Amino acid sequence: MNGYAGKILRINLTDRKTSTIDTRDYEQWVGGHGMGSAIFWDLVKDKTISGFHPDNVVTIMTSPLSGTLVPGASARTEVQGIGVQSSPIEWFTRSNFGGRFAPMLKYAGWDGIVIEGKADKPVWIDIRNEEVKVKEAQHLWGLDTWKTQEEIWREVSGRGYDKWVELDSEQRTTQRPAVLTIGPAGENLARIACLIHDAGNASGQGGFGGIWGSKNLKAISVIGMGGIQIADPKGLMEARLWAQVKYGTDLKNLDASWFSKFGRKKPQNRFWDPHESARLQACIGCHLGCKERTNTGFGNESTCHETTFYTAYDKSKHGGRQTSATYIATDLLQKYGINAYEASRGLTYIRALQRMGIFGSGKRLNCDLDFRKLGEIEFANEFLKMIAYRRGIGDDFAEGFFRAAKKWSRLEEDLKTGILPYSYWGLPEHGYDPRAEVEWGYGSILGDRDINEHDFNFLFWWPSGAIWAGKTPQPPAGQVVKIIAEKLIPYENNPLMLDFSTDNIYSEHMAKLVAWHRHYTRFWKESVLYCDHRWPEFINSKVPGYSGITGEGEPRFFDVVTGKKFSFLDGMELGRKIWNLDNAVWTLQGRHRDMVHFSDYIYHLPYGGSGNYAMYHLPGREKGRWDYIRVNGRYLDKTKFEEFKTRFYNLEGWDSRSGWPKRKTLESLGLKFVADELEKNKKLGAG
Amino acid sequence: MSIMKLRDPSRELAMRVLTEVDFEHRLNGFILRERAGAVPISMYSFKEVVSLLDDPQPRLDFKQLEEWIRSVMGDTELAIHIAQAIRKGNNDQERTYLIGDLLGERLNQCKRLI
Repeated sequence: MNGYAGKILRINLTDRKTSTIDTRDYEQWVGGHGMGSAIFWDLVKDKTISGFHPDNVVTIMTSPLSGTLVPGASARTEVQGIGVQSSPIEWFTRSNFGGRFAPMLKYAGWDGIVIEGKADKPVWIDIRNEEVKVKEAQHLWGLDTWKTQEEIWREVSGRGYDKWVELDSEQRTTQRPAVLTIGPAGENLARIACLIHDAGNASGQGGFGGIWGSKNLKAISVIGMGGIQIADPKGLMEARLWAQVKYGTDLKNLDASWFSKFGRKKPQNRFWDPHESARLQACIGCHLGCKERTNTGFGNESTCHETTFYTAYDKSKHGGRQTSATYIATDLLQKYGINAYEASRGLTYIRALQRMGIFGSGKRLNCDLDFRKLGEIEFANEFLKMIAYRRGIGDDFAEGFFRAAKKWSRLEEDLKTGILPYSYWGLPEHGYDPRAEVEWGYGSILGDRDINEHDFNFLFWWPSGAIWAGKTPQPPAGQVVKIIAEKLIPYENNPLMLDFSTDNIYSEHMAKLVAWHRHYTRFWKESVLYCDHRWPEFINSKVPGYSGITGEGEPRFFDVVTGKKFSFLDGMELGRKIWNLDNAVWTLQGRHRDMVHFSDYIYHLPYGGSGNYAMYHLPGREKGRWDYIRVNGRYLDKTKFEEFKTRFYNLEGWDSRSGWPKRKTLESLGLKFVADELEKNKKLGAG
Repeated sequence: MSIMKLRDPSRELAMRVLTEVDFEHRLNGFILRERAGAVPISMYSFKEVVSLLDDPQPRLDFKQLEEWIRSVMGDTELAIHIAQAIRKGNNDQERTYLIGDLLGERLNQCKRLI
């Protein structure tokens, strides 16, 4: 089995026994999400249980590419199980994180970990190559995520984490174990608690931190010294060189490489000011390095949304000058193990309530947080501590701010006015609002969570920045959609799939884009585990004609590692199969098309207030001509969205009256056993 | 590109500029980043608006800002200057710089006075 370790570790926390699953039993699902969904399907008989139920199974999966030299595909780990964050149903869901964990797990000889049951008291799992021990964790319980990792590093090395780790008389290493852990938020069963690895890698969505807390599982540590069999090592090196030469950044001519995902490029997705002195930091095997290690020790490895949590408050408090409060507040998120989106949107929300005069000391929603100190470290620490330790009204925050609003009898009103910006499934909006970038919103509401898959976001970022600055976005919209459309197999060469004009966003073309996105990500990004930061690459400015690596690159790397002959289309089809399996789980959990709708504000509040200023642009047709059109100022039409759902369900071969899978569709995908189970539960779609 | 200097504000105006507004009078804007997208920012004070405009990628409806300055802050002179800047700027980036400077100057005037 080239690319695989060959076995999956199964741990039952209830009796603390371990066993193995032969990876071959699930090889048809390839890895990551596909394997995780299939294992979950087999092991969780009653899929309607709460995520906190001991019978909930959490899978932690790698892929055949994990730990290899495939660029941007070595280090992601896929986490799945019934989540506890979404509402009204705790959907079977997923999350994903980078760093060193997946490669180290492979080097230790495991393709994944399956967690079952519940320990009677706190434990941690110590994996050293083949040796697996479930150990007492009383001494770790109560520690934050960083201190927990330091303690485990010391314990594994026996002499301090800066010393050799000796696994037996012949094997020793200076590598530190890769540790995945929860902080106090997880211990206290917060539905918005994360799993944290190293300084800033988080499995954030789904509330898996709280789920681990409910299982009394504090951490998993793994250190391995093995290798991974590659089917065609020479072919892998040739593929790397091909990618670098053809698609990589041209360091001698950076202007020509203004868009390349294969080469050194200064990370841009930070909201805070750049550190004065920092170096790039990368996940294992990554050619880029999107994170940083800093000379101050603040803000290490944090990137993207968690860096926005406190920046604006800090600057506003300190006369426009950013202080260390910004970095430290983000570090606290990581240490307590709290979902950054919930913390950010939640803080915005309670501040609105405070300004309305109903939240604060002695108010109807009593809280001692002193908003005069907003922007200071002290405030951030108090706010996050309230969540992590469920102090005072923080007990409500820890349930997620959607559930908090419901408890406070404010949910309906605040979703109508939009002051609670939770668009779908009781989850916070990401920054790609469904009213503007519809493929993100549609994918989220038709799935289980905020998708957090950035495949098409450059279509917003390029023109929105250029037009705001008075420049003409390049390449022109018509050229860009043509290049991308060529790659949207099996719906290729239909540029209308990328028409974000209001006339087109409810069309079958848009349904195809959403379906393509679901299938692509389910397989290539969540099962093969290509990093969302680097893949797909539709456009590459260095290549004549601007056509990026996607379509050719994904299967080429996959095939040289595994020795399989797997086409891009094969991957899309397997992605569709996995997506159908997931939808079957959601159906068993209670999903029906009648509950598939956005929060009220999405249907009547114009996004961004008005469409009178340059804010959000996407490709679209106006009077038959392609351009980058302004989409702020619009909202979704509820009736038309219902029509869109019907188109989408028909496209997927699902029953358009219920959204449930049909036997014919499932059997055509080799999922007869799924159809049988749905029929037994009276949840099989008609037709 | 210069904009006419602002006259010194009255003490009453300076107090208003330095005071937080209530929920109904908040101003909404965004900051943008690659990958993180458009992050909504609710602003409850003049200085928060100044801070937003200092970001590398702020997004704000300047017409709405002009109206906010006029009706909520009660600063007619500044609102007139903002209207001028809206006309003068060739694009929203230029308008951001012009208006950011104006608001920054007003904020400093008020701070000096109080």
